Amino acid sequence: MRIALIVLLAALTPGAALAANQVALDNSVFVERVSTDAGGKQKILLEEPKVVVPGDRLVFVLNYRNAGAQPADKFVITNPLPSAVRFADAGDTRPLVSVDGGKQWGLLADLSVPMTDGTRRAAQPADVTHLRWAFRNPIPAGGTGKLMFRGVVK
Amino acid sequence: MMIAPVGGAKHRLLPSCSTIALLAALALPMQARAQSGNPPLTRAGTTISNTASATFDTGGGSQTIDSNRVDMLVDELLDVTVASNNPTDVPTTPGATQQVLGYRVTNTGNGPENFVLNTVNAGGDNYDPVVTQIYVDANGNGSFDPATDTLYTPGSGDPLIQPETGITVFVIATTPGNVVDGNRGIVSLVAAAKTGTGTPGSSFAGKGEGGGDAVVGLTGADGADDGAFAVNAATVTLVKSAAVTNQLGGADPVPGATITYTIVATVAGSGSVSGLAVTDNIPADTNYVPGSITLGGGGLSDAPDGDAGDYNGTRINVALGTVAGGQTRTVTFQTKIK
Repeated sequence: MRIALIVLLAALTPGAALAANQVALDNSVFVERVSTDAGGKQKILLEEPKVVVPGDRLVFVLNYRNAGAQPADKFVITNPLPSAVRFADAGDTRPLVSVDGGKQWGLLADLSVPMTDGTRRAAQPADVTHLRWAFRNPIPAGGTGKLMFRGVVK
Repeated sequence: MMIAPVGGAKHRLLPSCSTIALLAALALPMQARAQSGNPPLTRAGTTISNTASATFDTGGGSQTIDSNRVDMLVDELLDVTVASNNPTDVPTTPGATQQVLGYRVTNTGNGPENFVLNTVNAGGDNYDPVVTQIYVDANGNGSFDPATDTLYTPGSGDPLIQPETGITVFVIATTPGNVVDGNRGIVSLVAAAKTGTGTPGSSFAGKGEGGGDAVVGLTGADGADDGAFAVNAATVTLVKSAAVTNQLGGADPVPGATITYTIVATVAGSGSVSGLAVTDNIPADTNYVPGSITLGGGGLSDAPDGDAGDYNGTRINVALGTVAGGQTRTVTFQTKIK
């Protein structure tokens, strides 16, 4: 039984490693710290935080890279929003979002949220639970790109 | 099922991006501002983790990979607000003790924190109320009950307040005896995070809930608000006059002449006096004229009964009860010269 398991792992591992080598997705998070210099000028610094406090503005950056020899088709990046983060905006990256835990997807302006009285209201950024970027065209071999969105620590 | 793709990297922005999508993107900041209601603060010690995934097909079927995971620890934010529970001045009187002001102290941070309480006699008033004690509302009913509520002892008794909850604090004060009607006395209650206070953003390493740092929030980790007493005092002035009429039709105080005494009690000030009574001894060498007591022109009986007046053989007494400032009471009685 144990031997069989090892064989199975061995069979799986090269494939997984190959996939990891072909397409890489790197996730980094920065906190926007506003500092004021001696002249009273405000400067926004992006720092990689180990610790945060409620109200901190976070910038999530996703770098993707197709290092393989084949184009990556049907390329979709999904980022479930940490529950302690309130979505703010996604710059000009135009993601699809979900406001119900990933069941339904759409543009924020097209989504609505059920109210306790049975009616629905327009979805707000704070309702977002997931973000998704779906690419129409394949990522060519060697292609790279960057996505970003902002959120606030609740 | 996937809706029309709207994502794109710089090198392949899609012409299919609709105007609606663009408008939606532009509208985002405004919607964010229109957001109402604050979600609960993330508790100190929570770890926020973010992982994204990518799904794609390089010819061998759909594959999914995860990104690296980024973990962030949520530090303790030290924040507090203090608000007076008395929207208007609390009435007091000169020399009064156990005068109560109420305040709401709210931990607006994200971790449980002890708060040090202090009072300050703020300026901008006429006198300094003498603070004798501070109590914490133990049963949360919002009204001061010395038998139930907890006497505050600085240090060991600094109340622990859970995040995003508040407690009611009572400041007990004595009003000095030398204040006069209309005086105001302000007491400011100050609450400060025991971990520390300072400029927003300053931090106390390792002092946070859950092992992280404690970071001073926008309130500076301390707060204060004013409560005020207003003295509602009243003063009583008694003016006594006498008029003599004699049996000869004149005003000479001869034996047998009748003296009519008039006592006018005037109450001044914004307060009122309670238990006010006018008592006058019958002068020597005169006899009280039975049934002669009047109050405001109306007759009163001599017996100590239902009405306000009585005569006990040596003096008359008229009980006026509670009289508000700005009012007068007129009492008369008569004696005959022996």
